[in-house]
Amino acid sequence: MALRVTTQRRVFKGVGNGALILMLLWTLIPFYWMIATSLKHDKEIYGYEATLIPERPTLANYATVFRETPYLLFLRNSLAIAVGSTILSMVIACLAAYAIARLSFPGRALLARGLVFTYLVPTSLLFIPMFAMMSALRLTDSLHGLIIAYLGFDVPFCTWLLMGYFKSVPFDLEEAARVDGCNRVGALVRIVLPMSLPALVVVTFFSFTHAWNEFLYAHVFTSTTNARTVTTGLVNFMSQDVFFWGPLMASTVMSALPPVLMFLVFQRWVVKGLTLGGVKG
Amino acid sequence: MATTTTVSLPLPTTSRRGMRGGPILRRVTQDRILGYLFLFPALLVIVGLVAYPFASAIVMTFQAKTAGAPGRFIGLDNYRELFGSEQFLRAVINTVAYTGIGVGLKFVFGLSMALVLNQERFCNNLFRSILLIPWAIPTVMSALNWRWIFDDASGLINNVLVRLNLIDETISWLSDPHLAMLSVIIVVVWQGTPFFTMSFLAGLQAIPKELYEAAEIDGASVLQQFSYITLPRLQPIFITAVMLSAILTSAGIQFVLILTNGGPSDRTMIFPVLAYHLALGGAQRLGMGAAVSLIFFPLLVVFIVFLTRRMLREKGE
Amino acid sequence: MPTTRREILKTVGKTAAVVTTTAPWWLSRRAHAARQAKLVVWNPAALAPQVDKIMQEQCYAYAKQAGIKESEIDYQIIGGPQLVPKLVAALEAGNPPDITRLGGGYVQLYRSQGHLLEVTDLVNKMQKQQGGLFPVSLPSVMHEGKAWGVPQSISPWPLVTRLDLLEAAKVDPPKTWDELIEVCKKLQKPPRVTGFGLCLGLQNDTDNNVMNMIWCYGGKLVEADNKTVALHSKGTIAAVQLIADMFNKHKIIPKGAIAWDNTGNNKAYQSRQVIFVLNPTSIYAHLADSDKELYNVTGLLPVPAGPAGAVEELTTAEWLLFKKNPYPEVAKGLAEYWMAPENLRVMIEEGDGRWGPPFKNMYDSKFWKRPVFQHWRGMLERGRQFPAPGAMNPAAGEVLATYTIGRMMHRVLVESWNVEKAVVEAHKKVAEIYARYQGA
Repeated sequence: MALRVTTQRRVFKGVGNGALILMLLWTLIPFYWMIATSLKHDKEIYGYEATLIPERPTLANYATVFRETPYLLFLRNSLAIAVGSTILSMVIACLAAYAIARLSFPGRALLARGLVFTYLVPTSLLFIPMFAMMSALRLTDSLHGLIIAYLGFDVPFCTWLLMGYFKSVPFDLEEAARVDGCNRVGALVRIVLPMSLPALVVVTFFSFTHAWNEFLYAHVFTSTTNARTVTTGLVNFMSQDVFFWGPLMASTVMSALPPVLMFLVFQRWVVKGLTLGGVKG
Repeated sequence: MATTTTVSLPLPTTSRRGMRGGPILRRVTQDRILGYLFLFPALLVIVGLVAYPFASAIVMTFQAKTAGAPGRFIGLDNYRELFGSEQFLRAVINTVAYTGIGVGLKFVFGLSMALVLNQERFCNNLFRSILLIPWAIPTVMSALNWRWIFDDASGLINNVLVRLNLIDETISWLSDPHLAMLSVIIVVVWQGTPFFTMSFLAGLQAIPKELYEAAEIDGASVLQQFSYITLPRLQPIFITAVMLSAILTSAGIQFVLILTNGGPSDRTMIFPVLAYHLALGGAQRLGMGAAVSLIFFPLLVVFIVFLTRRMLREKGE
Repeated sequence: MPTTRREILKTVGKTAAVVTTTAPWWLSRRAHAARQAKLVVWNPAALAPQVDKIMQEQCYAYAKQAGIKESEIDYQIIGGPQLVPKLVAALEAGNPPDITRLGGGYVQLYRSQGHLLEVTDLVNKMQKQQGGLFPVSLPSVMHEGKAWGVPQSISPWPLVTRLDLLEAAKVDPPKTWDELIEVCKKLQKPPRVTGFGLCLGLQNDTDNNVMNMIWCYGGKLVEADNKTVALHSKGTIAAVQLIADMFNKHKIIPKGAIAWDNTGNNKAYQSRQVIFVLNPTSIYAHLADSDKELYNVTGLLPVPAGPAGAVEELTTAEWLLFKKNPYPEVAKGLAEYWMAPENLRVMIEEGDGRWGPPFKNMYDSKFWKRPVFQHWRGMLERGRQFPAPGAMNPAAGEVLATYTIGRMMHRVLVESWNVEKAVVEAHKKVAEIYARYQGA
């Protein structure tokens, strides 16, 4: 053994810190560019040199977003759709993932794979027949229509992700609980889910941000302003060959914050939950 | 990896309302019914929602079809035309490279960051949330933002490099045929790494510390702990994340569409972008667009089946 | 309850199975109700938000006089690049809008697919107003004597020029392409300022820009019979060689132009990075609000001449009215209202000339008599559309939409192909496309 484990750990910690700093820079610099652009005047945006710090920072672009588009309405719609589709897809995916991961029934593998096969037609093409179907079902131009449409994308993804996590929960705990008289549903709710809390946060975040940021369906399926989301509001700033970069970036910066803040809050809650509950070895 | 126990438990002491059959049979039938019941909502979503458009797309590949008109059946003509097209074949190679390198890099960066974030550290939560930011931005806007960053004259990268006197001439990130694909992959990796990071981190957080402590007492080095405890536990998550990411990355059009539109000279043309161009540009041949999208279908099915074989094995095999 | 849990589950399972498999049928039998809106408008975002507002106000004013309530109007402003996917999905679903605006051969494409409403009566009426329509606005909408779209605007693509830089160096505006090269070489200061912002990305701007230069050297896309593809010619080769020289030898085109999208040349000019671009007045109109300084020193000059003369590129936009509309007269009325010269004038002048009206006599107004537009009339008379002397038809539309010319340029500039080889390949591709459309 070359080094003692504690020294090894220290080395890895140091390397880790270095890597973390690099990664933080790599993540933040493009985001900073977005923020900086959103704070610049049009003239500075079109300036020859890319100024790293806005010369005369202005909130005019943010004002434009609120003035030219009903941003708060869009925000409300986005939120409603994101929350709705997240809750639905989480419930459906938890049940399905548990079934595939733990239960035994004929056709299990086929059904599990079948879920993933639905991704083999990309949404960039699927939107056409999907819209035709939604139209016939009169689900277009509505919040619940979009929620339902997003389920088609979220459920397979969330199911598979959760399945991966459920499989790492040791089986013994569940067996012990069932010997004590717990049924399957109880085992799911009382053992598996709490032990997969970090995983649930990740999957929830995935569903939420997918609905929050989704562009194509939201754009094609909705017509009236009442049903439009934040992302579809962006197209107001893109005309044929001129993009209004300032308001575009402003809108993006604003819409990136809620999911991240949400995650921050959930993370604290999850970590607290884990340390309180503890994991029985 | 925790081994699964076989189904041979004693009879539960509390009996439920008159079930027929012995304890094991009862268990198995219960499992079966419960399995279908739990899976039912997911199936309802897929069959009720995706099945029709999916079938529609498949049927379209055998038709000469434009929007708003019923398609005319032409058999394999679309496929024949594609296989004879140099542009298509190039797109296939590009897609494989783009997906392979993209997912590979995302995996490596994601795993590294997950391990790093799993270490004890002050403000870890804040760092996790910061690293999440690319995931919270719509791909359209990321692509547009990076387009700017890569710009020749007004781009952030070129401006900084020139100012630091590191280069004399600006680097054409998006128009240099040797750099274009790399530039697109950079953006894909920027956008997609947080998914891997968070997924792996969640997996790591579920591994009880006691396992590591026990191994350490037994004298295992950090690397050995990683290989024997961490990796096996994370394996299902690795498989799932790679599979889902590979499928979705290979189907994503926004980055290429906005950054290079397939150029320069088709160097970054990947097949979903080709499908999009065929279906929405020019003659708007939906049948051809669908054919391009689905040509990988058999290959991907094999890929999925192979990758998930171990994961979906019945217990006790 | 006497039933066992097992039996309950069994019944539930059976009903669920029945429901799932029959769902598509009983869901789709809900009658697709007659839509509430009497007027569905999809108006692509114009350059300036005030133009969007004006058009919307005009639409509502028309509706009022036609006795339609505001609640019966579905008016949407859609970003330029997003219109087509939405339209395709809507056509496939069977509920397109009543009216929308597009340029670039879409009228002929959708006419050939049977989606459009015939509007010959409207166009005939327009021919009687304001001196009638410029001939160049008709090929995009006419087919076998009938009109299938309403000409909305004509946009010549002048040589947008930094007059201040020319003045400072006491240089005259270039009259030929060779002169342009000299001026660029003299005035440019790379990497800060490059001479000629020719768009070379895989975008429509490229096809239009390059074709413009091809004409000046005697080449063309297709003959007037719309069947004989004529791309492979000495003229085309000379023009492409000229561009290659501009890029490689004289270095007056920014390297990044190869990856530009449609906003690339706009951005380059507005950032003062180039001296000349070929673009419609979108740049000029945007500068009116955002950069008055640059606006005042920007000239809209005629295109330099090649051996075959000087010809400007023109693009047109049309109103498309869709057949699948329970209230066609309403849509037609709106098109007529918007194109009424008094209304059109307001729209155009508010947009600072982003579009030009298709009516001949409207250019006699004070707005168009300003010095900056002194060359306009000439451009409108000389100017041609992309497939000239052929007409804008689905085949030409497809050539444009698949960036055939752009790809040809990339072969030469990126892959270093011999110019003739690239032209021959492009010619073959165009010929294939036209062959596929015979009879459309």
